[in-house]
Amino acid sequence: MLIAAATAVVLAGCGGAPDSQPGQGNEIVVGAVWSLTGHAALYGTPQKNAADLAVEEINASGRFGGRTIRLVTEDDRSTQEGAIAAVDKLTSRDRVVAILGPTLSNSAKAADPIAQERRVVVLAVSNTADGIVEIGDYVFRNSLPERVVQPNTIRTTLSALRYKRVAVLYGDDDAFTKSGYDVFERALDEAGIEVISTQTFQKNDNDLLPQLTRIKSAAPDAIVVSALGEEAALIMTQARQLGMTMPIIGGNGFNSPKLVELAGRAAEGAISGAAWFIGNERPENQKFVPAYRARYGIDPDQFAAQAYAGVYLLAEAITRANETTPAAIRDALASLRGVSTVLGEFSFDEQRNPVHDPVVQMVRDGRFELFR
Amino acid sequence: MDQLPQQLLNSAWQGAALAVFALGYALVFGSLGIVNLAHGAVYMWGALLAFLCVSTFGWPLWIALPAAVAGAGLLAVLLERIAFKPLRSLTAGSLVLWAGFLVLLAAFTVRWSAEVRWAILAIAAVLALIGLAIDARTTRVLWQRDMPRLAPMIASIGASLVLVSLAQAAFGAQAMRLPPGTFPDAPVRLPGDLVITPIQVLVLAVALALMVALNMLLARTSIGRAIRAVAWSERTSRLLGINVDRVISSTFFLSGGLAGAAGALLGLAYNRIQPLMGEDVELAGLTVIVIGGLGSIRGVVVAAFLVGALRVFSVAYLDSSLRDAFVFGLLILVLVVRPQGLFGRAAAVRA
Repeated sequence: MLIAAATAVVLAGCGGAPDSQPGQGNEIVVGAVWSLTGHAALYGTPQKNAADLAVEEINASGRFGGRTIRLVTEDDRSTQEGAIAAVDKLTSRDRVVAILGPTLSNSAKAADPIAQERRVVVLAVSNTADGIVEIGDYVFRNSLPERVVQPNTIRTTLSALRYKRVAVLYGDDDAFTKSGYDVFERALDEAGIEVISTQTFQKNDNDLLPQLTRIKSAAPDAIVVSALGEEAALIMTQARQLGMTMPIIGGNGFNSPKLVELAGRAAEGAISGAAWFIGNERPENQKFVPAYRARYGIDPDQFAAQAYAGVYLLAEAITRANETTPAAIRDALASLRGVSTVLGEFSFDEQRNPVHDPVVQMVRDGRFELFR
Repeated sequence: MDQLPQQLLNSAWQGAALAVFALGYALVFGSLGIVNLAHGAVYMWGALLAFLCVSTFGWPLWIALPAAVAGAGLLAVLLERIAFKPLRSLTAGSLVLWAGFLVLLAAFTVRWSAEVRWAILAIAAVLALIGLAIDARTTRVLWQRDMPRLAPMIASIGASLVLVSLAQAAFGAQAMRLPPGTFPDAPVRLPGDLVITPIQVLVLAVALALMVALNMLLARTSIGRAIRAVAWSERTSRLLGINVDRVISSTFFLSGGLAGAAGALLGLAYNRIQPLMGEDVELAGLTVIVIGGLGSIRGVVVAAFLVGALRVFSVAYLDSSLRDAFVFGLLILVLVVRPQGLFGRAAAVRA
């Protein structure tokens, strides 16, 4: 159905202004490449929801005088091939000025070079792997990489909890959890924390009691975990089953409503670093969260917030650019400093990477709260 | 603190659950010579049925668990009638069953509305019941033949894929959990810094009870004697007037029930129920029946505790990535040193 909707949008666009130049007419055409089907649909769907919401708000505000943004959404089916086809179509047929996405870093690495070659701006809103902005000077991202988020988590929790000896537990057969582990290890090393036990597990392991029992017998002050959402829930559940009460500090997998849904009471006290916090009191966020909830019936997650911020950053750049060509928008985007967004005071650095403050949150009474 | 007592406890309740699972494997292999690779999928459905009973129907656990066990048993009987029996002898009932199966698939190939889907499922269920009834009463078969040994194993791989896909279509690929408070999960502290949860006690108790019950059933009851007779020689059993098809169905019911019990118990203990959960235990279970001696009940129980301990201790004292290497290393060692398994005899007395 989503594909049908996307196709309908595209067909309507083709019929309306087949040969329109970007920036001419009353519409500014922006593309979006989300994973709406396949294994990453879990992340792509909130991105689409939030981007649609942001575009509607901007168009309703009359920000560009008589002109509006038209968002052309493509589904990359969580695959590299899908992302390549989507970026190719958006840049050649739809002549978009900028593209949001793709959802996955893997897809971005395959598809972004096409946009770079055709000089079309790409703003990644969920890619956290290394080697994204390195693709070229038209590629930006607003998603904080783990190597910024996790050291902040360690610094913040360290000053409050004053742990000295920690155990580390991570999934060693997954690129994300492995790189998350590397980041943690470096941050712990820099903070002078002693790692007294390092344990691993594999995807789809159901039984982590042997690892946790081993950690328990080493009696660390805290446990640092790099795991995906489902395993994170399992770790919380089984650690509590073993009667372990020390703080558990997690990476990206812990920053998901899924953690509370799967682990229930056992998720209480789980600490995680994040780029966005649902209870953030900035006016942008106070407007975004209820609007999203009202329209889609669920709470937004970080993927939604970053996609929403991405649309607003793009709109800001389009406002500041003196003409709506990709080159002008690129220059305007690169010079954005201190823009107020749902993520906080936002700037791009020289490498087109995001600069804003990450947060540390903790599960309390089944909700994420700011860790203090 | 020494981790040894806790790790022994970890391996004990998991070994017990693994034994329950592997006994179902051994039962079917012992009586029919079939390696039923869909056993792991039945295990997964046991967990899903328990989930369905508790979260959707709101049943208490003491009703949901037996219901899941019975449901998984029935599923295994259906599986036998649809995937294995037609390979030996095809009846008109088998064809009706197949029609029911195709209708079932149709329920998930198109995005029907919920009411339409339930109606299609009801039609499939009625067809299945009619098919089973006809199949049970038929004396005239459309064909009968000796089954090549490989055919049912291949059929079981197919059946496994179908069962997993159906679970994904019906429940989605995401992990599910039972609602909080389904079973008390507060850890209980024992002397010596040991911690055990009520769920683990339940798993141990139910698993041990099932093992004893199965042993009694095979040794003391008439159906148990019939199962052993069919295991010994299908042809002789027929000559003696044993309804072999019914005995095979009973065997599959027991086998599926054991898989379902293991699935529901471990699904509850890990609180993570998802369509691919059978894969991991399937390999472990297969290893257990080979190590224990194909078809030997005592061997399966001993081997299950051995494999359970090996899985825990390789992680506890070495490295998690070496876990499967140790389990399969033991498998190869046993196959080289004692190919008939720990408790098997050269000419195996099966079941």
